[in-house]
Amino acid sequence: MDLTRLSLRIRVFLFFAALAAGNITALVAGLFYGYERLGDPSVLNAFIIGGTVAGFVILGLIAGVWFLFDENVSKPIERLAGVMRARTHAEIEGELDQQAARYLGDLAPAAAAVTQHLAETRSALTEAVQRETSRLAAEKERLEALLSDVPVGVLLCSADHQLVFYNGQAVDLLGSSHAPGLDRRVFDYLHQQPIAHAYQRLMEIEDPDAASDLLCATKADGKVLAARMRLLSEGEDHHLAKRPGYVLTLRDVSGDMRAHAQREQLMDELFDRIRRPAAALQSLTGVLTDDNGPTGPERDRVRVAARSEARHLAEAIHTLFERHEQNRADWWPLAMIRASDLGDAVRARVAAEGGEILSVTAALMLRCEGFEMVALLAKLVGHLTGRKDIRLEITEDGAGALIAIEWVGAPVGVSELERWLEEPLDTGMPDVTGRRVLTSHASELWPEPLPDGRGRLCLPLREARLVTSRPAPVPRAVVYDFDLLAKAREAEIVDSKLEDLTYVVFDTETTGLLPTEGDEIVQIAAVRIVNGRRVETEIFDTLVNPGRKIPPASTAVHGISDAMVEGAPDIVEVGRRFHKFVEGAVLVAHNAPFDMEFLRRKELLIGENFDNPTLDTVLLSAVVFGQSETHSLDALTHRLGITIPEEARHTAIGDTVATADAFLKLLPALRARGLTTFGEVVAEVRKHGRLIRDLND
Amino acid sequence: MADGGRKHRVLIVEDEDNIAIALDYLMSREGFEHDRIATGAGALDKIRELHPDLVLLDVMLPEVSGYEICQEVRADEGLADVKILMMTARGSAMERRKGLALGADGFIAKPFELKELREELHRILDREGA
Repeated sequence: MDLTRLSLRIRVFLFFAALAAGNITALVAGLFYGYERLGDPSVLNAFIIGGTVAGFVILGLIAGVWFLFDENVSKPIERLAGVMRARTHAEIEGELDQQAARYLGDLAPAAAAVTQHLAETRSALTEAVQRETSRLAAEKERLEALLSDVPVGVLLCSADHQLVFYNGQAVDLLGSSHAPGLDRRVFDYLHQQPIAHAYQRLMEIEDPDAASDLLCATKADGKVLAARMRLLSEGEDHHLAKRPGYVLTLRDVSGDMRAHAQREQLMDELFDRIRRPAAALQSLTGVLTDDNGPTGPERDRVRVAARSEARHLAEAIHTLFERHEQNRADWWPLAMIRASDLGDAVRARVAAEGGEILSVTAALMLRCEGFEMVALLAKLVGHLTGRKDIRLEITEDGAGALIAIEWVGAPVGVSELERWLEEPLDTGMPDVTGRRVLTSHASELWPEPLPDGRGRLCLPLREARLVTSRPAPVPRAVVYDFDLLAKAREAEIVDSKLEDLTYVVFDTETTGLLPTEGDEIVQIAAVRIVNGRRVETEIFDTLVNPGRKIPPASTAVHGISDAMVEGAPDIVEVGRRFHKFVEGAVLVAHNAPFDMEFLRRKELLIGENFDNPTLDTVLLSAVVFGQSETHSLDALTHRLGITIPEEARHTAIGDTVATADAFLKLLPALRARGLTTFGEVVAEVRKHGRLIRDLND
Repeated sequence: MADGGRKHRVLIVEDEDNIAIALDYLMSREGFEHDRIATGAGALDKIRELHPDLVLLDVMLPEVSGYEICQEVRADEGLADVKILMMTARGSAMERRKGLALGADGFIAKPFELKELREELHRILDREGA
């Protein structure tokens, strides 16, 4: 028998019991021996009585000592051990009660010291972890800000070419009508071949630092993008199984390509149109200057021919030069900048150098390289020493704008101005002079005298337009989920784990409840759930022109009026976009058959089938909470502790977000019931009787 | 012919000799008194000396540009009646604007046909006050 398995108190008790038994045995044996040696049977009774009394005294003493030992040693040890365990494992904090263990010598204080130290270490560790976590969170935030600000599109894809990360610029480049979404295939947006080919090439090279440059085109609008691909190394891709994911940086080069093609074409044409008349002229002048050259009418013929060739040559040069001038601004990609911003920048720069100017600008957007132009204008102002009341004026000038620097004082000479233009500008770049800035803007600069002892410098810009409202800023958010790199992809959806699937939760608002009687969709909203997380930025939300009147009773419910949908696209267009949005996802809706019925009736018109697997949160609620509960969206969200803001209730997007959040809370509840795969959930939904029709038949 | 039967006097400021040959020929044929200087440096002095009715001024000159000469002529009140016809090998719209802003009376882009130049010359010289 293994005594160590018994509790300490039992073992001590057994020890004392054995001691008592041993004492009694020794007593009986001693008395028996004495009685035998005495050999007097008359003293037997005295021996028995004495022995019995001694036995009871011994038992009493041992029991008393055991009791004291049990109370003051065994029990306190067990209690101390329990308390120490609690403090170790359950992370209870606070002082140890040493009173009960006061007879255990230094054990209680020692244990107290140990638990105290443990608590201190633990809280120091927690503090360190918290500090590090918040440092990492701040770092993450800064990195996100940085990544959202890089001027190129950045995509990170898994080895299966699914999107794991994208920034706002990538959204812009890939086409806003078909915005990218996490866990979608990059080939939904970009043509496959160049990317697959580059990936293959990089895999074969086996150099972790290798990058591959490629050109690829967007599927949405055929934009040409210059891309650079780099494979993720092991450190960057913790989940690296066999094949690594990759980073794609994208830059729109459609403009560059177009300009390049134009330039090429112009060059080809230039040579074509000059070579022929030049060759003819050379031959004809050869004939005319020949000593034995033709005479009379023949000579006249040659002269007319030479003259006509010269005219062709001159014409070719003029027209080609004109085209060159027109295209030059396109070839040098210049952004639009507000005239007032340009004026402010010049004023600030002049002020920084101790000068002062006034800037008066029209409400114009100027096509110019702002930084270089500011440097040039500031340089010019800097040279206008000894002149007073210097002001910068930007006014409309035909299709362009006129930048003028006016002053009161001595005029500026052309030669002086030319010298200023040859000086390098303070742009931090070598070789940038004022002359080069003028050339890149296909412009000129000259001085003009004005009345009353004033003068000005004129710099026309070829292209400007009136200011309209500022364009919508490029969405700056970065969207990512790096866990997608490790996601296992099941071939069969029925075997897929619930958390591995991508869902689109959606809701529609309609003109009424009866699609069979002509009711139509007036709004569709949807959100995506990827890797068990609602992707905040991936939202589909649009009004639909139903092509019929919206009954006031319906407008009262969802707040959508005829006027609101007047300019909205029709269901065919919205349906196509929605079909793209839900591609590859499981559809989730609250009372899905209602919304699906509206969509499916339009499949023919849209030209796409909505045959995605579908889950209905009404049925899932029935599985989790039982059929006797109410399963309205309000009841369900209330049960799950989700609040729909009053202003969002009955808007398609408000209800969609609420449904999505409810669905995300239902997922662990389904798992707790042992339903982990999509197939199991569908089977369970069917078992739960048919509250309403199941759409996965 | 200028007023009073006097021949128009034209100064050609042109550094390319071959073009100058053609210009000389045209001036003779039109019956203008003419002279030529091949650099920008002495051009202003020459203009002051000859006080021509018209300066046929190339823009791209060595040392001193045609724009500079144009500006200085216009700054000299004594030369207020001297007409300036600028010629340039580049002929961009911006250069034309610059030339006219600096006080040129006309602007012609190379290559040009003699006929075009002739028309431009007469347009300027025969204008009122010429």
